[in-house]
Amino acid sequence: MTRLTALLLAGAASAAALATPAAAQQKAPLTILRIIDADRYDPVRSTATAAAEVVYMLADTLVTVDFDMKTIKPGLAESWTVSPDGKTYSFKLRKGVKFCDGRPMTPDDVVYSLKRWIDPAIKSPVAFRAGPVKDIRAEGDTVIYELKEPYSDLLFQLALSFASVVDKDTVEKLGQNFGVQGFNGTGPYCWVKWTPRQELVLKKNPYYDWGPPIYKNPKPQIDEIVWKVIPESNTLMAAIQAKQADVTYYMPYIALDTMQRMPGMTVQRQENYIYDVFMGFKVDKPVSKDKAIREAVNMAVDKQAIAKAIFFGKGTALPSLLNPAVLDYDKDTVAKMPKHDPAAAAKLLDEAGWKPGADGIREKDGQKATFTVYGIRNDINPRISEAMQADLRKIGIDMKIQLWDATVAWGKLATQEFDAFYMSYPYVTATEALNLYFASRQVPTPNRMNWKDPKTDELLKTAATAVDAQKRKEAIGAVQMQLTDANVWVPLASQPLWVVAGDRVEGVRAHGIYGAGLYKGLDIKLKR
Amino acid sequence: MSSVSDPLQQNLPPVAVARRVSVLRMLLSDVGACIALALVVLAVLGAAFAPWLSPTDPYGNDLANTLKPPGEFGLLGTDGQGRDMITRLLFGLRTTLLMGLASVVIGGLIGGVIGFAAAYYPRLSGLLMRLMDVLLSFPAILFGLAIAAIFGPGLPAVIIALAIATIPLMARVVRGSALVVLQQGYIEAARSLGLGDLHIILRYVLPNCLSAIFVFVTLRFGQVILLGAALSFLGLGAQPPTAELGAMAADGRNFLFFAPHVSVLPSIVIFVIVLAFNVLGDALRDALDPKLRK
Repeated sequence: MTRLTALLLAGAASAAALATPAAAQQKAPLTILRIIDADRYDPVRSTATAAAEVVYMLADTLVTVDFDMKTIKPGLAESWTVSPDGKTYSFKLRKGVKFCDGRPMTPDDVVYSLKRWIDPAIKSPVAFRAGPVKDIRAEGDTVIYELKEPYSDLLFQLALSFASVVDKDTVEKLGQNFGVQGFNGTGPYCWVKWTPRQELVLKKNPYYDWGPPIYKNPKPQIDEIVWKVIPESNTLMAAIQAKQADVTYYMPYIALDTMQRMPGMTVQRQENYIYDVFMGFKVDKPVSKDKAIREAVNMAVDKQAIAKAIFFGKGTALPSLLNPAVLDYDKDTVAKMPKHDPAAAAKLLDEAGWKPGADGIREKDGQKATFTVYGIRNDINPRISEAMQADLRKIGIDMKIQLWDATVAWGKLATQEFDAFYMSYPYVTATEALNLYFASRQVPTPNRMNWKDPKTDELLKTAATAVDAQKRKEAIGAVQMQLTDANVWVPLASQPLWVVAGDRVEGVRAHGIYGAGLYKGLDIKLKR
Repeated sequence: MSSVSDPLQQNLPPVAVARRVSVLRMLLSDVGACIALALVVLAVLGAAFAPWLSPTDPYGNDLANTLKPPGEFGLLGTDGQGRDMITRLLFGLRTTLLMGLASVVIGGLIGGVIGFAAAYYPRLSGLLMRLMDVLLSFPAILFGLAIAAIFGPGLPAVIIALAIATIPLMARVVRGSALVVLQQGYIEAARSLGLGDLHIILRYVLPNCLSAIFVFVTLRFGQVILLGAALSFLGLGAQPPTAELGAMAADGRNFLFFAPHVSVLPSIVIFVIVLAFNVLGDALRDALDPKLRK
């Protein structure tokens, strides 16, 4: 079997090698492989991870996030202060920053970019992340970010690619085609050429020496980077093996062990990667409104086994509602989370009046214990859903699975047709994630659970507007406890981030903010 | 129906019986056809008795034993959910054959009615056959996508799509052979006796078109299985946990390098079944065609 696998791999690798002729004598560019392209690379117009991972290299943000995903570090702002009432942030800008075209960056560029983010005319889908802005203005070499009320998440949101600083002239010149035909930012790499769904070529920003302190070397050390799209994961794997490409964090999990055994290949994991998979219940549907059902599902599903099997031993189950690596995670919710115990789940359903019917499916007052789950047909949902379906069948719950192609899935997920849904999402803080999903104003999307609770709303508001970090932690901890107790979600797994790099590459370190595995792409060197 | 009111019927049975015997003899003298027939019978039996033949529960997963290669865990290994491949293949075959049968029967019936109507009523012919041409110009995959988008993916969507794709083909075959039959003297005779249209079609036209229909249906069955598997491969067909050969092949493609059996085994089964139906259809055509008879 192993021999057959090796044979198949060798065959595919040589096929990939034949497909593209060897590059010329000049040092080949660093090639990064991924499976999907973005629709555009305008920071404020795309929410796609595929856009973010490139925008981080093209442009900079005021502040940056460290590899621990919890510490805010300087970026374009070398320091900042927050007023005691938490409403005014002053960012002192670094000197000597230049755009790719050589023009020095001014505070006005920062103000322009941030105002563009919240400009109603732009209709940015991520404008809400900027918080309740009163005014953004430049005063000398300082940018003042003034809020109507405190917004505890602001620094984390300002570290996301959506808050990138861009060049006004290029934006106005290209209009809708900004991030499609060209880009001008202050990032370590500059836009050269984009062939949609094939490749995006970047070259070194010659002026760049203001990389965030989380890296050893503030300057980029590679002349050219090519982001290449290979939609089929087996082909992607073969291309890495054939040394057609250098780095990827889209390697199929099943291939990681094989890659690890290959000489010269480095395979590493980012432990603090926050990209969670969960199933959410609509709490107002005939079956899923019953807390006993939701709790029984949480007990019946063997999350450890699923996380292991789906990610081929590389995944970890979520111990409670959120990812333990995230800022303000409440450790006490672990004890509250129902443990895997199918027998206890069956007992709970018996006590709640759900009696087994003739076909093995439980019933209560003529209502069958059946619910429909919607999701996107991606790599993992088909396998996760089938595994859960089998687990639930054992305790007499019939889960019907309806997965949709990504083109129609988001429309379907905005309807009230389903009882539960699958979702994978990146986030930076507990306050952000829970405000996004559980505030009653977010019904019907992204609050697809239809969770409307005054207590939750109040606590979410307290956390979001907290000036004191401890107060925020307490408020958002209370929300986590309340939601864990209500079993609104079945937290499934934390999607692992693994970066695979070939033997030509040195200094790659997995970051993973908002899905961007390489973040700024600094410290990476090519040996030959 | 008594023979007095139907004088033309008396000389039919002996001919038909003699023909049936010679067709069967011709079919059995062809080694390829015999093997194909045996495979088809085997597949149908396997599918029909899947619940009794299967060693394990088709829907019970075992996440500790996923993707085991053949021989290591059960005779043919396990799939991505740790389910026994033999069980999944038997149940998959069952779904695939049922899907094929349902779509050929539905599409064949509708197409047959349209074909006979177009042949028997020349006035309808133009309109009906142009309609069929329109249907013919849509690929079945496109129908599948459209129907799945409206009703949601699932077996009914695939069956509807395949049935619609079968209608124009069947209508053409039936109309073609019915037109030939309608030229015959006995049809003229039946008409002059004052028999009703329906009576003439069912009693005299249909039986004489049966050989063409039979050949078409057999060949079409193979094509429909292939198309259905393709639609399921794209995720439009059977939804989990239902086993279906095309969907099984799709499930395994992500681990093609590491556990090839998950994709390869259902693909082989599809290949063998489709080949068997095609060989059988060809042999039937040869046997039923008087011009090819020695």
